Amino acid sequence: MTSVVLQDVRKSFGSLDVIKGIDLTIEAGEFCVFVGPSGCGKSTLLRMISGLETSTSGKMFIDGKDVTAAEPSERGIAMVFQSYALYPHLTVAENIGFGLSLARRPKAEIADKVKQTAETLQLAHLLDRKPKALSGGQRQRVAIGRAIIRNPKVFLFDEPLSNLDASLRSQMRIELTELHAKLGATMIYVTHDQVEAMTMADKIVVLNGGKIEQVGSPMTLYNQPATPFVAGFIGSPKTNLFEGETAAQEGCRIYGIRPEHLTLSTTDGKWKGAVRYVERLGADAIVYLDVPGLPSLVVRTDGDRRLEIGEKLFASPVAGKEVRFQ
Amino acid sequence: MTRRQLYTGIVAMLACGVIFVMPFLFVFLTAAKTRHEAQALTFTWPSEWQLWQNFMDVIEARNYMLFLAYFNSTVITVVAVTLLVLFGAMVGYVVQRRPSRWNTLIYGFVLAGLMIPPAVVPTIWVLQSLGLFKTISGMILIQIAYGLSFTILLFRSFIAAIPRDLDEAAIVDGAKPLQIFFRVVLPLLKPVTVTVIVVQSIAIFNDFTNPLYYLPGRENVTVQLTLYNFQGQFQTQFNLLFMNILLVTIPPLIVFIFFNRQIVAGMTAGAVKG
Repeated sequence: MTSVVLQDVRKSFGSLDVIKGIDLTIEAGEFCVFVGPSGCGKSTLLRMISGLETSTSGKMFIDGKDVTAAEPSERGIAMVFQSYALYPHLTVAENIGFGLSLARRPKAEIADKVKQTAETLQLAHLLDRKPKALSGGQRQRVAIGRAIIRNPKVFLFDEPLSNLDASLRSQMRIELTELHAKLGATMIYVTHDQVEAMTMADKIVVLNGGKIEQVGSPMTLYNQPATPFVAGFIGSPKTNLFEGETAAQEGCRIYGIRPEHLTLSTTDGKWKGAVRYVERLGADAIVYLDVPGLPSLVVRTDGDRRLEIGEKLFASPVAGKEVRFQ
Repeated sequence: MTRRQLYTGIVAMLACGVIFVMPFLFVFLTAAKTRHEAQALTFTWPSEWQLWQNFMDVIEARNYMLFLAYFNSTVITVVAVTLLVLFGAMVGYVVQRRPSRWNTLIYGFVLAGLMIPPAVVPTIWVLQSLGLFKTISGMILIQIAYGLSFTILLFRSFIAAIPRDLDEAAIVDGAKPLQIFFRVVLPLLKPVTVTVIVVQSIAIFNDFTNPLYYLPGRENVTVQLTLYNFQGQFQTQFNLLFMNILLVTIPPLIVFIFFNRQIVAGMTAGAVKG
């Protein structure tokens, strides 16, 4: 069963085309991540699905219903904003129950649902506090609570973790994934952080310049990138991409090999180069090799390996891991 | 505190005392004098305290006119300020949040309202043709018209500091435009609303000239106009006049003392992104 369907959706601001024709199908219960560099239109696309931004042309279906012209509140969506957008003058309980109180539901029902939601998110002891008395992670949970209580068909997340510090971010990543498993709802998640995309997604949509570059599961994107852009964007450090003569020798227009799919040797290998720079990350070390005829070759190797600047090393690709673009 | 800070502090206190406390003291002392003694208008201790007698004289003057004046002024002030807050916040919200070609025009009107001095006689013609001249409701509308431009500017700059995400979150939650305004935006405008209430209610309560032009008639008297009771062409009862001033000054003073912290908060809010 499909949950969200976009058919040739476009958006222009004046003469500027931001979204240049997107066709996309998201299945029910899927965790779909929009990822791409800044300004690629991923947030705009999410806002178009939410209804906060109208589309210039194209059609949009949620749960089989045409919602192209529908108001945000009629679409069966809930949104978590990057800034959380909690109402500062209301308590946590009032924030979570705001949508229900707008709909003039009975007080007892609101209180009941707020309590349930708060227990799901471990917020029960904070219900009487104002947002300013909460930590970043707690505010994040309140924002998610406000979304959950509406029982939406689709959850929309707009870079929800970008305001949190690194350790809290990884904790919230796990919490969100668990929440998705528990609720089984469709979630669309926008991020520029490819770690979030790889770890959380069932399906990743890579956007670039207002168009879809590739749609697929995280490992598909990693192993079989459809375009050089996807090969470069997914994975860190970036895939080594070579054009021209090097690529021609391999029988393609662009040749790519990931840093982790190169092996180093002191005796023999495909490319010989001098170590220019080493970044030690602890478990791994990233080695930048100056190879004659290549722009720069980045290799990921053991963190403990002894390396010296200027040392001559051979690098060879692991067979079958190369990607070739025609 | 260093010695230097102490001395400059004392000097500043003395200067403030001369500028702000002395006139008030003069009003108070004159209000306590007998008619004859007050005539001299000197800054002296009253030889005979007549505070209560003067107080009763002022209250009873012209068949308890002061009570009617308090009632009229209170009605004008409360209604005008309420509507000013409501309209000012609404216009400020729309102008700030919904960009359109009309905004330039609306903004032009707002600035015109600040810059162009009101013309009294044509305004009276308009009031007469509308049947609003010499009525309390006409006076209320005049006060709203005079105060609206400043109020809109104040609200508009404050609304700019409220993140748009909040409006959008409310839209997603299913709020209609009026619900967004009354349940999300207006509560967040509390600091600037207090500023508007204090500034405008003092201005309207203390207004002398506008009621004088637009609200003639014995039954329409406002507090500031009662000062005329004791001021004649040939002689003035200074002790009663100053007692009247004392009574008229007290309500705005109370408002100011209670709210002055919030006034500054509202005035400076939105100046710097915080």
